Amino acid sequence: MQVLARFLIVGTSMDPTFPPGTYVLTSSLPYLFTIPKVGDVVVVQSPRDRKHLVKRISRINENGYFVMGDNEKESTDSRHFGLLKRHAIIGKVVYILTLPKHD
Amino acid sequence: MSNIIDFSEGIYYAEFEIPMIAKTIQLLTNMLPVKIAYAHCDIPCGIYDVHHMQMAAHTVIRMTQMIEETEMTDQKHAMHQIARLTKIKEEHAELLKQELRVLWADYFKDEHVKEYPNLHDLVFKTMKLASKARQDIDMDIAKDLLSHTQEIAEIFYKTKGVKSIRVKSVYPTGLDIVLHTS
Repeated sequence: MQVLARFLIVGTSMDPTFPPGTYVLTSSLPYLFTIPKVGDVVVVQSPRDRKHLVKRISRINENGYFVMGDNEKESTDSRHFGLLKRHAIIGKVVYILTLPKHD
Repeated sequence: MSNIIDFSEGIYYAEFEIPMIAKTIQLLTNMLPVKIAYAHCDIPCGIYDVHHMQMAAHTVIRMTQMIEETEMTDQKHAMHQIARLTKIKEEHAELLKQELRVLWADYFKDEHVKEYPNLHDLVFKTMKLASKARQDIDMDIAKDLLSHTQEIAEIFYKTKGVKSIRVKSVYPTGLDIVLHTS
């Protein structure tokens, strides 16, 4: 858990909201006071290879959090690796630092 | 407020009304190390197929056939031939497992399992059969492996919304292959 972290988004699963090349700021602080909710964009730890993934929470139930990419067709997410436990959520995306520049 | 884009509650685009604030945030956060967050997709193309899997099952059958038919008169030659055939049998059983693993892990989704409740069991049995086909020289197992693979191929095509048909393959096994017709 990190109070503040800077992430570069790699890959297209959050297109068009967060295109690849976007820098975002994440924080674990919001989840000290509130619980993650549907619609939150979060950085999670992949249960497959422990890599950091950026996804949006789409459903919550008693067994965990179902996360999905905004670009459903090009996303490997809870549809493949299942529900995530609370501790897999590293932080919430709180701020977009820079979007990639287009020519 | 025109420069603030609210993507989701609590996330704001960097260009604030007061650029100073944005700049200050940028400067401060520049000190933070950059980590990578993968907006991840294993294969961002949606290209999955059951062709290789079936071809591999036919190859396992053919190799089993050829091992069984190997003449043992010239022992050195026979050993060499069986080593070669076994190698290909091993590789193709493993290829089948790899293809199936990708389908199961990346393509098939909850809704498919709901629609075809035997899918998990079918995949599990096919995996086991592929391992057995590696371990033994057993035509029944090899044929059973093909028939399970065909069943999965038919489910795959159904999930794609296309019709499928079993036709006689052009391979020396003389057995069927599942193709889609529409």
